[in-house]
Amino acid sequence: MADKDYYTEGVPLPETPPPGADPAPWGKTNAIGARHTRVDAYERVSGTAVYPSDIILPDMLYGAILRSPHPRARVKKVDAAKATAMPGVRAVLTADDPLARNILWPWSSKLSKPLFDATCRFEGEAVAAVAAESAALAHDALRAIVVDYEILPPMVEFEKALDAGAPEVQEGGNVANTVAYARGDVAKGFAEADAAVEETFRTACEIHTPLEPHGCVARWDGDSLVLWESTQGVYNIQSRVAEVLGLPLSRVRVIGHYVGGGFGSKLQASKHTIIAALLAKKAAQPVKLFLTREETLLAVGNRPPTLMTLKAAAKKDGTLTALQFTARGSGGAYPAGGVGSLDWLVKDLYLCPNVKSDMTDVFINAGPARAFRAPGHPPGSWALEQTMDLLAEKLGMDPVDLRLKNIPTVSQGREGSPPYTSTGLRECIVRGAEEFGWREARRRAEETRSGPVRRGVGMGAGLWIAGGGGPPSTVVIKLFADGSVNLNMGASDIGTGTKTVMAMVVAEELGAKPEYIQIEHADTGTTQFATGSGGSKTVPTESPAVRAAAIEVKRQLLALAAEELKAPVEALELRGGEIVDKREPGKKTRLAALEKLKKRGVIVGVGYRGPNPEGKIVNPFSAQFCEVEADLRTGEVRVVRFLGTNDSGRVMNRTTFDNQVHGGITMGIGFALTEERILDAGQTGKMCNRNWHDYQVPTALDVPPEIVSSPIDAPDPQANTTGAKGVGEPATIPTAGAVANAVAHATGVRLRETPITPVALNRALAGWKE
Amino acid sequence: MDRDEKDNSCHCRGITRRQFLHGVGAGAVVVTAAAHIGAREAKANEVLPAGELAKIALKINGRRHVLLVEPRTTLLTVLRDGLGLTASKAGCERGECGACTVLIDDVPRYACLTLAVEAQGVAITTLEGLMRGEELGPVQQAFVENDAFQCGYCTPGQIVAVEGLLRAVPEPTFDQIRVGVSGNLCRCGAYVNIFAAAKSAAALRKKG
Amino acid sequence: MLPNFSYVQARDVQEAVRLLGAEGARVHAGGTDLLGCLRDGVFGATTVVSISGIDALAGIREGAGGSLRIGALTRIAAVAASPVVRERYPALAQAADSVGSPQLRNQGTIGGNLCQKPRCWYYRGEFDCLRKGGGMCFAAAGRNAGHCILGGSDCFMVHPSDTAPALVVFEASVRISGPRGERTVPVEEFHVRPAKDPQRETVLEPGEVVTGIEIPAPHAGCRSSYRKVRTRQSWDFALAGVALALWIEGGKIARARVALSGAAPVPWRSKEAEEVLTGAAAVPEIARKAGAAAVESARPLAQNEYKVRLFKGLIATEIGKALAGG
Repeated sequence: MADKDYYTEGVPLPETPPPGADPAPWGKTNAIGARHTRVDAYERVSGTAVYPSDIILPDMLYGAILRSPHPRARVKKVDAAKATAMPGVRAVLTADDPLARNILWPWSSKLSKPLFDATCRFEGEAVAAVAAESAALAHDALRAIVVDYEILPPMVEFEKALDAGAPEVQEGGNVANTVAYARGDVAKGFAEADAAVEETFRTACEIHTPLEPHGCVARWDGDSLVLWESTQGVYNIQSRVAEVLGLPLSRVRVIGHYVGGGFGSKLQASKHTIIAALLAKKAAQPVKLFLTREETLLAVGNRPPTLMTLKAAAKKDGTLTALQFTARGSGGAYPAGGVGSLDWLVKDLYLCPNVKSDMTDVFINAGPARAFRAPGHPPGSWALEQTMDLLAEKLGMDPVDLRLKNIPTVSQGREGSPPYTSTGLRECIVRGAEEFGWREARRRAEETRSGPVRRGVGMGAGLWIAGGGGPPSTVVIKLFADGSVNLNMGASDIGTGTKTVMAMVVAEELGAKPEYIQIEHADTGTTQFATGSGGSKTVPTESPAVRAAAIEVKRQLLALAAEELKAPVEALELRGGEIVDKREPGKKTRLAALEKLKKRGVIVGVGYRGPNPEGKIVNPFSAQFCEVEADLRTGEVRVVRFLGTNDSGRVMNRTTFDNQVHGGITMGIGFALTEERILDAGQTGKMCNRNWHDYQVPTALDVPPEIVSSPIDAPDPQANTTGAKGVGEPATIPTAGAVANAVAHATGVRLRETPITPVALNRALAGWKE
Repeated sequence: MDRDEKDNSCHCRGITRRQFLHGVGAGAVVVTAAAHIGAREAKANEVLPAGELAKIALKINGRRHVLLVEPRTTLLTVLRDGLGLTASKAGCERGECGACTVLIDDVPRYACLTLAVEAQGVAITTLEGLMRGEELGPVQQAFVENDAFQCGYCTPGQIVAVEGLLRAVPEPTFDQIRVGVSGNLCRCGAYVNIFAAAKSAAALRKKG
Repeated sequence: MLPNFSYVQARDVQEAVRLLGAEGARVHAGGTDLLGCLRDGVFGATTVVSISGIDALAGIREGAGGSLRIGALTRIAAVAASPVVRERYPALAQAADSVGSPQLRNQGTIGGNLCQKPRCWYYRGEFDCLRKGGGMCFAAAGRNAGHCILGGSDCFMVHPSDTAPALVVFEASVRISGPRGERTVPVEEFHVRPAKDPQRETVLEPGEVVTGIEIPAPHAGCRSSYRKVRTRQSWDFALAGVALALWIEGGKIARARVALSGAAPVPWRSKEAEEVLTGAAAVPEIARKAGAAAVESARPLAQNEYKVRLFKGLIATEIGKALAGG
């Protein structure tokens, strides 16, 4: 293969900045911003991609965890004799096993408990574990372990967690945290208002359930541990495992090349990894331990349920004068941020001088929460966007106009109200409304009021508290002697297309074709450091580091070429695949023809993610518009169409960007219309719907036939050197609120609780007559 | 049970899926080795005892595999753990997600709900069977061109479901496409692009 | 994960009957519900007796006098796609089309659909409930939004089958083979109310197996339909479902059959709705009256009062469509 196949021939490349100087923002781009097929598309559609759950190792055993079936219980006795004796069972671990008994699991920075805790605080707590020759045998063995539980009355209703006499989830009571905030004077704000609304809202506990269950394969090479983990962040897993097992980081290698989804639930280590490692040590064989689907609904995180009250007031021209928010949430049985960022949108999204927020996070005997795609934001948006619509109604204003009246240019929720590097909030709303045909659609929907099947439109706007990324990140690019390229980075590609975007950055800076870039990633043993892929921070964190590494390669390459060609380095410029002497443009030298490069073998460029701009905030913004059809006779809601606009700075790869928007909206539809964890409150406290039959995530028939993604695509040169912000989370923040507003518009009834199922809508329409 | 006293069964060995496939050949593959090998051929009317291995023959992607399985072993376990055909994924093992979708006599079915002993005498096609050597088949190609996936875990099942649909209905309507993949969850929410991919796959298949 | 079980394939119905008479024997037709129940530990199986190889039990054949015989092993997808079912018994085709997901329709059988176990989450979950021989019904005072508003007592499940109500409105019968020979039971009498026995779903005795369904020729001019309301448009069972068959002559409803899914522990024939409809003028107002009549004697539980409104609306809507469409 000729080296010129590796490059977009002769394409002009961005100027190489002198050492120490930041590169200029890209002008007109060649690779970046276009639509690009994923670089690993072949692997994903051919089935050759090896996910951690696909790994088969020689002599591998299968692990399984015995979990408490009771939400609150004490383990009095564990009898694993029968399980241990079963043919095919190679290792059994209980709390008193020498390998396990001193292991402490850190639930939070302040709270650690034994790995197999005798006090079970949620249904799904780990009690024991086995490794056997097959998964079926491992589960047979679990069934043969006899546990004597003292069953205790559980506390599973977070609204009642602070009632007198409520069972204690944690020693010291059921308050996990309280958060208070105030700016301005809300009393004054309410006093000077012309209209006010106050409503109470409730959002259900939502569970991530990515398609690939959580799990890992653990193998010891002597005293070193290798883990193939289904994770969003190999370094996150490495650090927690090393800490818990007391190993140096250099003896824990975590590999996570592919992961079947995470949505936040795989950003942190879980007990199963430690358990798999201990089983592997005990059996002296590798152990594959993947959770069953039922376990993933119980024990690896969720979005906290919330109860929120929001009072909002405005002048008659729509200017907000006060927002008062109180809320309660639950992060489950351990400290897990039950009200994390729940009030952020109230504090930051719409311009308002007087804001007060009081939130309480309580413990309940249920699975601990984990960050779930924009923690706190979709529930907060559910309350805020519906409140804005209620206010608009009272003021006789169009909902879009009310939002546009209250657009901030600074981050009011942060100390000192720092400005955003860019805010496309206004443009998202204006552009979205126009492309959606908002006013016309609203009018047409109102014409359907005469019949029982009615249309409604609704909208919501949003921002995400993070999404600007930041250090640390290290990327290494290796230029081989034939001019082909190796890109080495730590970040996982969780399905968002990270690898493709980074390859496109290399393409933009070096002219190298993405399909010829060898990408190594997500391996703590061999790839560079990156934080977990989540929080909409991966593109803004990694792409500048990749750009920096590519620039380093260019600097060294030009210096080497200058030596070889005996030309001043300022006279040389790099174009796709070739060095050109600006003084004699016809004089071109192919990279592969450089003798010094051949002799040196490789050029290595290291790039680091630099700091974010001082005193400024980098956040992405979004607005979404939807149309629904509601049948008032049966309470059924159908989503007819959806449109999402986003200000995420520069759109790096339009293909994967749009897919994120589709995905965020689909997930938001689940939050709005179908998903809810149901606990057997008042009786056993167990989870009623711990499978995908009863915990309902949207199917192909529950999404509209078409979802339009129309990004603003305005590079943000102040944010970072690629001008990009994240999109994964803003794509799902305003969705549910928009749906609720559309349903209210269609039916005249406001649904304040998620999900809006036919059950809920029938209840709400109980008074409706034809 | 001491490691050294393992019975004489052959364990599935392999580091990568491809290496493993090369290693298997036409020999018998033991899926579990818990009890002694009964080596019964699974004939109708004969009881296959619980926990014992029975010999069955399955036709997968055009190749005949002779296997030893327990009565409770599912086709999905055979594919993934026994034969290293890991394209078919385990998402729930209860028929509620579609990640394990295979074709049985051209018709989409859940491998997790199909006992291996029940899968004899039919033609089983997995995602691997849709490849043309190392070339992607038309449905796979359409998924690439339409970016019809994100994390990729539901993707094999989606592709096989679309393939099954197109074998039965070569030019489906939009509604038929949506129904065709309505037994396949995508938590990443790539449905809209999956619909587009199915439409484009129909055209690609027509071109041959 | 599945527990261990022995397995045997029956070569014919007599053999199946003999094998199913053994203690702990469970039948495997399509297997979709059996495997789920074994995984959840709803019941145990010492021996799984597979009838899937008995070819004689699959297929749709014309019977005497325009009737139709559907073998118990006929796949749900085949029932839905059958031209004669679509033409003569649209409600059955629509019901079959709405079952589960495409893959489940390709694997599940109509016999299995009638015999399937309840979907009550207490029954399927780690709860020692009344139906499984335990001490109490957890739904009675528990999370019962999905449970019954009619026919409940001791147990408050809803019957999950979509095809059963459709078969009820066509007055179909179930053909059964057993140790004491063959018998035929109207579908309407096939399922057991909890008041009679909260631990049984069907009238099948040990060793008995469903071999087929027989549907009499419909009277001329039948308009039929099946629709269910559910949270998601795939996989989900009915929150409320209605099968309808109406015959209109000279501007009046000469005959009516109405059966509900998601309403009661058995497929619920609503004689109350039928009474209102029969002989009435075929005008839109009658639809609403019939809907109201169907739920007149409803006894909702703490969380499913909404089903009263839902059934009213659904039944009225479907009757209205039938009257208008024809």
